[in-house]
Amino acid sequence: MHRVVITGMGAVTPLGHTAVDTWTAMREGRVAIGPIESLPRADLRYGIAAEVRDFDPLAHFDEKKLIQFDRFTQFALVAAREAIAQSGIDFGADGLGENTAVVVGTGVGGEQTHDEASRRLYADNNPRLHPLTIVRLMANAPSSQICIEHGLHGPAFATSSACASANHALAQAFALVRSGAASAAIVGGSEACLTMGTVRAWEAMRVMADDTCRPFCKQRRGMVLGEGAAMFVLETLESAQRRGAPILAEFAGAGMSADAGDIVFPSEAGAAKAISRALADARLDATDVDYVNAHGTGTPGNDPTETRAIRRVFGAHADALAVSSTKSMHAHALGAAGAIELVATIGALRNGVAPPTMNFIDADPQCDLDYVPNAAREMPIRAALSNSFAFGGLNAVLALRRFI
Amino acid sequence: MSSVQDTVFDIIARESGIDRAKITPEATLKDLEIQSLDAVQIIFEIEDHFKITMPDRDPNFDTESVKGLVEAVEKLVAANNAPQA
Repeated sequence: MHRVVITGMGAVTPLGHTAVDTWTAMREGRVAIGPIESLPRADLRYGIAAEVRDFDPLAHFDEKKLIQFDRFTQFALVAAREAIAQSGIDFGADGLGENTAVVVGTGVGGEQTHDEASRRLYADNNPRLHPLTIVRLMANAPSSQICIEHGLHGPAFATSSACASANHALAQAFALVRSGAASAAIVGGSEACLTMGTVRAWEAMRVMADDTCRPFCKQRRGMVLGEGAAMFVLETLESAQRRGAPILAEFAGAGMSADAGDIVFPSEAGAAKAISRALADARLDATDVDYVNAHGTGTPGNDPTETRAIRRVFGAHADALAVSSTKSMHAHALGAAGAIELVATIGALRNGVAPPTMNFIDADPQCDLDYVPNAAREMPIRAALSNSFAFGGLNAVLALRRFI
Repeated sequence: MSSVQDTVFDIIARESGIDRAKITPEATLKDLEIQSLDAVQIIFEIEDHFKITMPDRDPNFDTESVKGLVEAVEKLVAANNAPQA
């Protein structure tokens, strides 16, 4: 069993086109939710989202290659480059690329490609689809393209568990590196789900907010869709120290569970199980944890259930925790959510700053933890958790420790 | 029983699987132990059948009770059929 550390991170999010910019925005409490610009808003029921704006694919890819990449793959590739550059890892050295894993979570895959294909088929009555439709839309496209770009030959695949996809990816990559099955891993999540089809489908569930995302507060009206990607480099502590690599945080453990209950309504017991398992896996006591990056979607169902799950696991220490939902700023990027929130969690550990839950108005008696409302807080953070609880009742929680 | 009410009762019974005889205008969907996902499907089927869009969280519309649903449908259908100004 190896100790696993994170030596690089990259991100393309509504808050910024790099991990550094994304973290700075979170720390400043900047909210990227606003009227949708990429879709005709007039006939949308709610019409708000957090979009990645001004992203120019041609600034990152040549035209010939770009034709293979759906937007979710573009985000993942750009984020992976940033993470790899920060880590300074050289896949050519000692045959490292031969056994580096790539795991990328996504909730819906190449949805823009899918939407365009459907439009041609059913709206234009054009039965001829683009020959790269499959290559672009397949859920494993980001994993495959990262392998191709960087010459990585280790275990590589996609994970899909709706809103927990990225955390499941991170848990898998962590297990591969910890056990020695892979020497290093490039891992994260990516989503580009702001298509008419996906937005309409979410509208139909009647769980969306029409104003903004206000997790844990009394006036919350539901979730808001986002998009983006975040990617990380994982390697063993030994390899990072040998290379003199920057160590951003120690990846201490992961816990997963299935509610096996309602297909959409979250379960306190299922969430608590994943949190407890993450703590046990990381050999952390509840009292070692100072910050929890909550799933905190802003729906009536999630927020009180997550609050009770945290109370159930942490007992009296729950009142000493800072718990925040950064979805209040970058909204819910579904299969990329856990990865974007890991940028927040790593930022919190490295800088001793709990990012805020923005848009918070009044406390809800059903949500009675310290949610760091409306402004970041400087505080010592020794260890932190990052929660993801998916539709379908699939939960994944990551445990990280500050590395000094 | 109005034909709108009749149809709404049919849809509630079909979508939730509860005995149609148990449905009364006074009952709320909660009283009938209809889960939120079933409630969303009931509203969807009502919208599809009557070609209307039920408002979300509009204080002028009660979509919690059976009677409220029927009245909301009647109001929206009437608005659809009103001569255009």
